[in-house]
Amino acid sequence: MNKIFLRLICIGVAFLIFNCGNKNDNSVVFVKEVPIKEDATKIYLHKAANYKNNKKYLSVFYKYYNQLLAAKKYTEAAEVLEIACIYLADSYDFNSTFMAAVKNFDLLYRKKAPMLKTTFIDAYLANYYFDKSDLKSAAAYFTKVTLNEPNDYNSCYNIGRAYYDLSYIHYITGKQNLSLIANQKAFEYFTKINNPKGLAFVYSNYANIYTAIGDKKRAVKNADLAIKMYKIIDNTYNVYIGLINKIAIYDYMNDNQKIVLIDSTFNAFINSKQEEKILKLKIYEYKIENLVRTNNLIEAKKLIDELQPVVQQINSDDLTNEYKIVIAQYEIKKNANYSDFADIKKALPTLIINQQYEKVNMFYGVLQFSALQNNDYKTAYTIEKQKRIITDSIADISTREKIVELDAIYETQKKQQQIALQKTAILNKNTTIALLASLFLGLLLLVIVLITRQKQKKLKLEKQSAQLYTKQLLEKTEEERKRIASDLHDSVSHELLSLKNLFQEKTEITNNKIDAIINDIRIISRNLHPIMFDKIGLKESIIQMVDRTQLVNNFMVSADIEYQTVMLSTTELQIYRIIQEALSNIIKYANAHAAKITILEEKKTLFIEVKDNGTGFNVAEMLTGNKAFGLHNIIERSRAIGGESKIISDENGTTISIEIPL
Amino acid sequence: MKILIADDHPFTLQGTKSFIESCGYIVNDACSNGISALNLILLHQPDIAVLDINMPGLDGLDVAQKVQKDKIKTKIILLTMHNELAIFKKATEYGIYGFILKEHAQSELQQCLLEVKNGNRYVSASLHANLVDTSCSNFKNLPELTVTERKILEQIALQKTSKQIAMLLFLSEKTVEGHRSKIIDKLSLPKEKNALLKWAIQNYKS
Repeated sequence: MNKIFLRLICIGVAFLIFNCGNKNDNSVVFVKEVPIKEDATKIYLHKAANYKNNKKYLSVFYKYYNQLLAAKKYTEAAEVLEIACIYLADSYDFNSTFMAAVKNFDLLYRKKAPMLKTTFIDAYLANYYFDKSDLKSAAAYFTKVTLNEPNDYNSCYNIGRAYYDLSYIHYITGKQNLSLIANQKAFEYFTKINNPKGLAFVYSNYANIYTAIGDKKRAVKNADLAIKMYKIIDNTYNVYIGLINKIAIYDYMNDNQKIVLIDSTFNAFINSKQEEKILKLKIYEYKIENLVRTNNLIEAKKLIDELQPVVQQINSDDLTNEYKIVIAQYEIKKNANYSDFADIKKALPTLIINQQYEKVNMFYGVLQFSALQNNDYKTAYTIEKQKRIITDSIADISTREKIVELDAIYETQKKQQQIALQKTAILNKNTTIALLASLFLGLLLLVIVLITRQKQKKLKLEKQSAQLYTKQLLEKTEEERKRIASDLHDSVSHELLSLKNLFQEKTEITNNKIDAIINDIRIISRNLHPIMFDKIGLKESIIQMVDRTQLVNNFMVSADIEYQTVMLSTTELQIYRIIQEALSNIIKYANAHAAKITILEEKKTLFIEVKDNGTGFNVAEMLTGNKAFGLHNIIERSRAIGGESKIISDENGTTISIEIPL
Repeated sequence: MKILIADDHPFTLQGTKSFIESCGYIVNDACSNGISALNLILLHQPDIAVLDINMPGLDGLDVAQKVQKDKIKTKIILLTMHNELAIFKKATEYGIYGFILKEHAQSELQQCLLEVKNGNRYVSASLHANLVDTSCSNFKNLPELTVTERKILEQIALQKTSKQIAMLLFLSEKTVEGHRSKIIDKLSLPKEKNALLKWAIQNYKS
């Protein structure tokens, strides 16, 4: 029985601990679903390597995509289109054929697919406008994506991603407060799905924002966090992006650690044999900048030439401009009189209109650099003033204050949320402890109850066996007495009778003597056992006893007996003995005028009462004393026949009553 | 006249047989247990059966009961060591004709047989003697009164009312009144007021 309890307890504890464990991990809301089995074409389209290395990728895509549209499988078509959109957008490929396909889908089929499965269209268009430097349109499309409520892992990721992109746009247009808010949103969504890549994006953005407001410490910290995240997902490409970001921070902050970081990143990139064009462009540009600064123009020229085809392949307006700036920096260094800034000057107004302040700053940097090389300090000063305006635009003073405030509010909110979470955790813990405690208490009580019950059962059994033993003992005694009585009566008396007849000379004296002996034996045997009790019956035997008691003791006893039922002879004999004992007690001790015996028979109970009007006694005191053998005899005999005895006594007399269930 | 005798003690059986024959009767059957006795009674229908009570198989009372039940003309005489009124009462229920104690057989059996032969009943004098009290009392020897009657008489002498006596002796008032008139009868007192009270006070020894 104890093993069962142990098991129960173990199960209970395990269950509760398991529950506790579950509740601690409640920050993740959506879990990535295991993708259902896809057909071969879709698997092919899903592989990034196929997109990068296989020129047939798009033709495979178009064929498959059109098949799906023809089959009116719009949701599946949307899924495939999304895959292509992501790859193309990531590599800044916005060719018109594909764009036409996207716009066509947007117009004709979008409403036939679930809303959350088609947000990629808005994201793709946003990316397109971003590349075309139309940041307002881009922001509008990203905002459109963020208006949705996620219902699974993918939708949550897409919305988080849109917030991130939106944040980036706000950042580069100098709206740092909006950028921060969007980034915080992105952080929340990516946390919901516990996506390290998304979180890395968010950290990069934080790095940018803190850079813009001049909080170097936090900027670097977040840049490092981003790199750490990329390392977690083992994405080398993005690790480099993170490093590039960090370089940009140092660059913006005019920190000389930049030079060391650029060199180490460049060397690592060369050794890793990465072929990523955009990475190559960015890292080479920084390296070229370094080489130009240290006047290593030959090496710089080599890298610039190496980049030339890469820039052409990428064919991005944005990146081409960056390349041009690098070339300009090189040319200025090589020849202070270099003044072919037409492209740069031409691009400047568009950039300003589009609020691309970061780029604007770079352009002004080139122009200022040129002016300084030419010792044209007036121009340099003018440009410096322009730069200041732009820098302030990136993060004007009011914005900075606002950001600090927002940041504080966000931190407070976060802490409050954490506190709330902790409180819930504590509450859960307390509930668990209370549950465990009550469980243990309950079990303990159960055990106690069961033990008590078993003890009671045992006691009852012991009592029963004791009772049985008493009963058997009493019956054996009676049997023995009966045997002795009949031996005396039948054998000894008869022998005496023979003896009496044997005497030749019969004298009155011997005859009387022998008769007296026979009478004595009769009395002895009668006292040992009521004569022929089985035959005479309980009622007649009691009447006989009453008559004899009256005569022998000259004592008034009356009997009122109502008894027809035939009980076991052994039981009847015990009743007889009880009455005999009670009567004998009365005669010996009660000093009574009279006694009365009553036997009353009801449906299910036999009532026996022996009462006298004697002096009475203290029952409790008497029972604990050592002179109460007679009383104990009555009690024990009653118990042995399954009855219950009650003794009541006062100065008006004593009543012994016994109830026996029939 | 046919006589059957039954006793499980061979000496007693032999003694009884000799005694009855010495009285001039013929003992047709002598057996040592109740079953044989009953079978022989059924078979031979004797006029008288002298039976012991304590016997193996069926005892004398059982046989008497059967004989009564089967309406056999055999008259039963019980010859026993039991000097018990309860047994005698039981035997009377079974319609026996004689009840004699073995130790007084020599002096009573002949008389008993004669009485029973003539269709009368005979009960041993010593059985009656058993009922008579010889113990001490607050009165002169009053063998004709029962214990209850004497106790009531004592209380009357102590000038208790019937109601008080009834309370004291666990009897009903009516019963006490009944006993009073019986005592008056037994003592042959004159039917006048307070005759019993006067007698009781006069004869009461404290």
